[in-house]
Amino acid sequence: MSSVSVESVTKRFAGHTAVSDLSLQVPSGGIYGLLGPNGAGKSTTIRLIMGILAPDEGRIALFGASGNSRHLSARIGYLPEERGLYKKMKVLDHLVFLGEVKGIARIESKRRAQAWLERLEIAGWAQKKVEDLSKGMQQKVQFAGALLHEPELVILDEPFSGLDPINAQTMKDIVVEIAASGRTVLLSTHVMEQAERMCDRVAIVARGKLVVNGTVAQVKAEFGGRHVALGFAHDRQHADAVLADPRLVARLDDYGASAELKMADGANPEQLLAALVGAGVGLRRFEVVEPSLHAIFVAKVGTDPDATPLPVVAGAAA
Amino acid sequence: MNKTLAVIRREYVERVRTKAFLISTILLPVFMLAMAVLPALLMSGGDHTSRVAVVDASGSGLGQPLLDALKAATIGDGKAAVPRYEAVLFPADAANLGRVRDGLIASTGFAGKARKDGWDGVLVLDADTLASGKLRYYGDNVSSPEGMNRLQRDISKALAGVRLAHAGVDPALVARAMAPADMDTAKVTDGKLTGQSGEASFALAYAMGFILYIAIISYGSRTLTSVIEEKNSRIMEVLTSSLTPFQMLMGKVLGVGLVGLTQMGIWVGTAFVLGAQGPHLAGAFGMGAAAGKFAMPTMPPALLVVFLLYFALGFLIYGSLYAAIGAMCNTIQDAQQYAVFVTMSILVGFMSMFGLINNPSGALGTTMSFIPFFAPFTMPVRWSMTAVPPLQLALSLGLMVLGLLACVWLAARIYRTGILMYGKKPTWGELWRWIRA
Repeated sequence: MSSVSVESVTKRFAGHTAVSDLSLQVPSGGIYGLLGPNGAGKSTTIRLIMGILAPDEGRIALFGASGNSRHLSARIGYLPEERGLYKKMKVLDHLVFLGEVKGIARIESKRRAQAWLERLEIAGWAQKKVEDLSKGMQQKVQFAGALLHEPELVILDEPFSGLDPINAQTMKDIVVEIAASGRTVLLSTHVMEQAERMCDRVAIVARGKLVVNGTVAQVKAEFGGRHVALGFAHDRQHADAVLADPRLVARLDDYGASAELKMADGANPEQLLAALVGAGVGLRRFEVVEPSLHAIFVAKVGTDPDATPLPVVAGAAA
Repeated sequence: MNKTLAVIRREYVERVRTKAFLISTILLPVFMLAMAVLPALLMSGGDHTSRVAVVDASGSGLGQPLLDALKAATIGDGKAAVPRYEAVLFPADAANLGRVRDGLIASTGFAGKARKDGWDGVLVLDADTLASGKLRYYGDNVSSPEGMNRLQRDISKALAGVRLAHAGVDPALVARAMAPADMDTAKVTDGKLTGQSGEASFALAYAMGFILYIAIISYGSRTLTSVIEEKNSRIMEVLTSSLTPFQMLMGKVLGVGLVGLTQMGIWVGTAFVLGAQGPHLAGAFGMGAAAGKFAMPTMPPALLVVFLLYFALGFLIYGSLYAAIGAMCNTIQDAQQYAVFVTMSILVGFMSMFGLINNPSGALGTTMSFIPFFAPFTMPVRWSMTAVPPLQLALSLGLMVLGLLACVWLAARIYRTGILMYGKKPTWGELWRWIRA
């Protein structure tokens, strides 16, 4: 059974279609990544799933039942993209409140809140006001608030943005643990490497439309082709002519000191290696690889996911 | 229901804990007391004994009886009474009147300051005074209407006595005839004495209206700012995924309302303690005379019930309207454009009280008791001042409940859509679509 089922959903804002005829099935269990550049419609899709926005067309069902997510709110944990907490509240009180509005008894809520604060290593801040915390700590608090009621479906909108690597690691461990316990995680991100490592399934959306959808292995297999990852040691400039040769290289994703490329049809990686060595390029890496999600994304969407965000229409969600 | 309770508790606890709550709890009564007491103090020019020089150039012996009348006047009654005037007679005739008068005026207006022998005022009686009643007073307190009225009354009394004595009436008879009427008022409700004086019920009605006005203006509008803050802090999105708009709205309005009730409970409780202990406390501060004026009117239980009912209903109506306006807007400035309509309605209700005090059962009062927006002000006032027919009370309460349900329903509809709307504020047309959606 699907935890989340989105069928042909369209959502328009004044003068702009944020989500266009989008269909997704998030199966129960595992981590589902909703990928796309800024402004692709990820957050709008998540808000539609949460019932915060109503679709103009199409149908959304949670746990096989359509209707408002509020009736199911005790089974769902939600971390919105726009983080928001009551600034003047004490951290512990705030977590207890977030548990209570999910229907957890006050005492139990308090116990869980303390456990979470200890786990996130911010127990010392329990009696501080939210506004005294750093951005990263506030995000941890909100993260704990979304998980306090042990929901079977966890929806996280850009959960790792704005976190330092150590905190991002902590959060990642928690997300993986949730999935390992048989629960479902739906997360959105524009960081492809992260998605590639964590997600069982991904959907790439761009300009409100679904581009690619499936397990990570499926997506890579469908994209096809032979891919080579290069790392340059010296004489990088000599590689330019080889990499520009259309008989060898179909597509190049150039990072300067490294590159990922898709071989042209009929070309062999051996030919490429010979050509590079012949040109006098110093290599520290030459590896035939699966295409990265990043490369697939660039190829499919045509823009770099980390590139400057598309302009967002005021009033519309990213 | 438990979720609504959680929202109410959060709103309540987070507000009561703030410094703003503590400060307003202390400062507002001080401010109100100052508002009530200051004008009275300024008008009376201070209740202290005035030194008055009486220049008698009447030639008809008017001076002495006038002096006696002034000396008989007191401030306060019974044991606490102190003489109102300290009068000294200066005989004069037409020839030296000007000189005596000017000499006294030269030492007038220093009272209470450096010169202990200075005068507060100089009263000049001339030959015409007895016949025409005309006389002049030169003083530092002539701009106090209350002081001048009193002085004029005391002089009139003396003049009448002298005139009667000149006409051959026995002075003892005059004294008895001049004894003033002393009227006590008592309020009757349903053919029964309520034990309140007329003044007390007026004061009570006014105080209740004022409390409701302050409560709605200061707390009702707080729901508006609090909704806008929630929108701006983006906490709303987390809340909407857990709570229905109705739960959020009711939790907020009730939570804020309870804070208002708590504050009022503190005030009323303090006032009762002060009222009961007032004479002792005032005595301790050497203000025995002043304490008598500000006695706490007693509140009959039925009136308290009526007041609290209307207070609660009125607060909820206005609180939910304010919350709906908050949901429509993103900045306080935007919200104020809409809030003006609500504030106007509160003002109309509040101002109507002053009209009602003259004629509590008139057409205006009766009509306004049936309009849910005004009834919270008019009904308790009418109840405190006159007997309201039970049917009217029932009808008015029924309409209030209907009005409340309508307002909450309307506000919840607006809330549902509005709380997640960022950007420009809605047009009236859009608002209509939100309500119908």
